[in-house]
Amino acid sequence: MLEHYLSLATKSIFVENILLSYFLGMCSFLAISKKVETSIGLGLAVVFVLTITAPVNWALHHFFLREGALAWAGFPAVNLSYLNFIAFIAVIAAMVQLVEMVMDRFLPTLYINLGIFLPLIAVNCAILGGSLFLVERQYTLSESAVFGFGSGIGFFLAIASMAAIRHKLRYSDVPKGLRGLGITMLLTGLLSMAFMAFSGIDL
Amino acid sequence: MRSNLYILLFMTAITIVLGFMLSIAATSLEARQDFNVEVDIKKNILSSLNIPEDKDQKISQEEIEKLYDENILTINVGEDGKRIETGGIPVYIAGESDEISGYSIPVSGKGLWSTIYGYIALESDGETVKGIKFYKHGETPGLGGELEKEWFTSNYIGKKIYDPSGGLVSIEIVKGVVNPNNEKAIHQVDGISGSTLTTKGMNQFIKEDLETYKPFLDRVRAGEVIL
Amino acid sequence: MSILSKKSKVALTDPMLGNNPISVQVLGICSALAVTVKMETAIVMTLAVIFVLTMSNTIVSLLRNFIPNRVRIIVMLAVIASLVILTDQILKAYVYDISKQLSVFVGLIITNCIVMGRAEAFATKNSVGQSFLDGFGNALGYGIYLLAVSFFRELFGSGTVLNFQVIPDSFYAGGYENVGLFVLSPGAFIILGLIIWFQSTITKFEED
Repeated sequence: MLEHYLSLATKSIFVENILLSYFLGMCSFLAISKKVETSIGLGLAVVFVLTITAPVNWALHHFFLREGALAWAGFPAVNLSYLNFIAFIAVIAAMVQLVEMVMDRFLPTLYINLGIFLPLIAVNCAILGGSLFLVERQYTLSESAVFGFGSGIGFFLAIASMAAIRHKLRYSDVPKGLRGLGITMLLTGLLSMAFMAFSGIDL
Repeated sequence: MRSNLYILLFMTAITIVLGFMLSIAATSLEARQDFNVEVDIKKNILSSLNIPEDKDQKISQEEIEKLYDENILTINVGEDGKRIETGGIPVYIAGESDEISGYSIPVSGKGLWSTIYGYIALESDGETVKGIKFYKHGETPGLGGELEKEWFTSNYIGKKIYDPSGGLVSIEIVKGVVNPNNEKAIHQVDGISGSTLTTKGMNQFIKEDLETYKPFLDRVRAGEVIL
Repeated sequence: MSILSKKSKVALTDPMLGNNPISVQVLGICSALAVTVKMETAIVMTLAVIFVLTMSNTIVSLLRNFIPNRVRIIVMLAVIASLVILTDQILKAYVYDISKQLSVFVGLIITNCIVMGRAEAFATKNSVGQSFLDGFGNALGYGIYLLAVSFFRELFGSGTVLNFQVIPDSFYAGGYENVGLFVLSPGAFIILGLIIWFQSTITKFEED
């Protein structure tokens, strides 16, 4: 059983990295990865929020929205799965708000460091994507939690290493037209190839 | 700055309008969506049975429905392999009742990363593979993901799942290419490079699922009336 | 161009090249790439984005004088999410095969920064007609990129264009093989990087 979760974690961190193979969270990835410190901050915030929203949205889908989920309330024929998108995004926004308040109260230093990134995360594709994938792939509750955490770590690794590379890049002589976004895309491609090397991994 | 009451009313109005719009759209389109899902399942079953024979031909949903109704009979079989009315496991039979051309049974199980779903079809003798179709999986594209490709699945056609003594051996995906001189070659297909674990999983679940259907397949092989 | 006033024309054409949402504003790359393995899916995705972006811009602009400022983000989000659900339902009902391939990426239009970005930055301040054109222009600019990337990925990755084989069999016989890299995600990043390079060389755009 443990092996199964380990393999799911490896898959979500490396092989199917949410950023490098599904392209989710690119906007903030490109915008934030200019500085290492901020990248680590955003990365941690994503890990945090993704780990929380994945199981919560799983429960929401499982007990309220999927076909026949309302059988316990006496409506077995109701299928609300078309409300998935809007419900998930609302949960994500609410969870981000909640996390922000809890952090402010109990972990003020972390809050000061992550503070500005939390609101940004509500519209980060990686978070919504994580929730949509777990429905699509029919994960169980514990699988969802592992998947959410793994995807977060994957995003963290990708953005932190990209920030480090871009930091070094400042001293390189990049062709004029390629500066900025162009070279970042090429580098992301190389990074993505490197992560794919894990696809042969044997657990 | 507007009053709180205005905000509250505005949000309520928005929620009602949008909710109303969405539920109308969802309800009115539901029948069509269910139909699509159903046709898709039928298409996969037909495809495992090599119907229609020309794979590249594009056929419409209505034609799939028609082909399916004309060709396929679904029965449920119990643990003893006999037909039962309710419960049991499904078998999709192609052909007429006096002239059966194939049996399609669902197979599914874990590959490396994901659950793989498919149908394996057998000839009327109950032991020669007629075709195989995998329609849903999440394996790595280019490696394990090749399992859905024609070059791989077409290798299954003509292979035997029983050995001459009547034991169920299933079909094994080997590493590399099958050695035609090996006496087991009739139970083996070429492997996909770089996907040892995917194929290991597939070997296992295809065998397990065939075992489940063994009582039924034994009866087919014995020539008993199965309808 | 007598039909469109100068400002309207700018709103429509500017985002297509000079101020393209993907290459210059860095918006909406998220879902742009995952659906570009085949042109067919990219086209459907483009149409979906055109629909959602023009409609959301129009609706937000219509409501711009009524939306209370404090809750404007959530109202926009609700409008966009509803439009996306509508699109997803229609795709599932009428082009089921393609909607299966697009899977979760239709849903992700909600968090596509381009949609929210245009609603907030343009539609809340401009007239309905202008917003409509701005939405349409931005969506087209986005679509051009999707199509360009998917064209190269499909051509080199699968040897086809719009599912028609274009690389002749004689090439394959001569030892040519499809480049698997282009089917996988790194191919998308690299092609996009090269296209951006090409475009910024032409438009002389430079990021500091």
